[in-house]
Amino acid sequence: MSSIRVINTSLFLFLVFLIQTTLIARINFPIGGFSLYIATLMVVLSLENRTGLLVFGFIGGLIMDLSPSAQTPFGQWALVMTFIGYLFAVNRDSVVDLNDRPLALTSLVSVAASVSILTFIVIGVLLGQNNGGLLRNLLVIFANFIWTFLITPIFTPLILRIRKMLLTNRERV
Amino acid sequence: MASSGGNRSRLLLVLLLVSSLFLITLDLRGVNLASSIRNGVSTVISPAENLFTKRFSPFENFTSDVRNFSQSKKKITELNKQIDLLKAKQILDEDMVNQLSQLKNVLDLAGRGGYKVVAARVINRGSTATFKETLTIDVGSRSGITKNMTVISESGLVGVVKSVTSNSSIVLLMSDPTFKVGVRIAGTQSIGVVSGQGGSSYLLQLLDATGEIKVGDALVARGSSGDRPFVPGVPVGVVVTVLSNASSITQNADVESTTNLEKITVVAVVTAAAKGDPRDSLIPKPRPTPTVYVTPTPSPSPRE
Repeated sequence: MSSIRVINTSLFLFLVFLIQTTLIARINFPIGGFSLYIATLMVVLSLENRTGLLVFGFIGGLIMDLSPSAQTPFGQWALVMTFIGYLFAVNRDSVVDLNDRPLALTSLVSVAASVSILTFIVIGVLLGQNNGGLLRNLLVIFANFIWTFLITPIFTPLILRIRKMLLTNRERV
Repeated sequence: MASSGGNRSRLLLVLLLVSSLFLITLDLRGVNLASSIRNGVSTVISPAENLFTKRFSPFENFTSDVRNFSQSKKKITELNKQIDLLKAKQILDEDMVNQLSQLKNVLDLAGRGGYKVVAARVINRGSTATFKETLTIDVGSRSGITKNMTVISESGLVGVVKSVTSNSSIVLLMSDPTFKVGVRIAGTQSIGVVSGQGGSSYLLQLLDATGEIKVGDALVARGSSGDRPFVPGVPVGVVVTVLSNASSITQNADVESTTNLEKITVVAVVTAAAKGDPRDSLIPKPRPTPTVYVTPTPSPSPRE
């Protein structure tokens, strides 16, 4: 994995983060919210190799920690996404090529997004944060799963195309 | 090879986890690194946020609007009704404040004049079909009102009670062409008669051939026998134009009433006059003009 790809992918993720913060966050989704950034990150992670999973998981989480409105400790999302990347890495061999299996990819992304939010809440509890009632949190996770499942198929082809552009020639082979 | 790859991955995982925990620890210990970085990011993001606010604000609540469409419509109807009620209440409140002010002032006038009065509200105005300038007030014989009682407002004479029922009375206004009231020029003993002319101006005929009318003279009611229909001392009007000339026998003048009969909503019916004549004490005094004192600054005297 080249350093240029790391930089390009990081910039791409930051751009998606910008769109999430300035545009998507304004939309009041019923019950819970949809995070374009988390869904995009999960799509990127689902197509990476072991090293890429850990690196982009960490960088993706770090970008989320940059959010100006975040009230959580800096590094918490980095920890969460590194762990998610590790989960992907552990199960990498059982996940076959998802490029030609859109439903499987969508399901994986939705589940991974929900697990990442759940992990964030759990780590927050371990760090002594109060994130609201259990029922409300479960409702938010469920709503996020639903919205991610519905919306991911719309933008996934674009993400895949951009990711292919970000690969170096050697990595495309 | 495979194991070295696996070892490298594990090492990388440990390194990244430790880095994350290190950053969390730094933040929890109060190191301002996170806030500085977040402030920097906020500086970068805020122009984009402003741009998107301008462009995409109509779409912000799209989903909630769609979801709450029927509720929104119902809520809008309810809110419109509330707005109409509040507007009507506001108008009513303003009217009430005005009425209270008039009541206070008319009671103040009655108090200064020593009159015993019954306050009343104007509930109707005379119709043009009868060609009479009248008011209907909401007090009648049950409140002690009888015919030929003087009716006053906060600023002076309004008219005379002409007919009475148990709960209301008809007042003949001083603007009615048949209305006449004996008056005295304030500050003098000159007497005359003020007649209504059907509009907002009145005619003064001075009965005293030696008397003199000047513009600005205040007129007060002279009073009638038994204080019916007029009690003495009530302000009637002010002379605005002197009409008489040397050849006329009586002196005439145009008079402007002290009371704006179009706008009164609260009046008082004088049920008993003062024991003495209040004379000119009820005439509104003109406001004193402010006197500006200028102290010249001493100029330096030239040296010898």
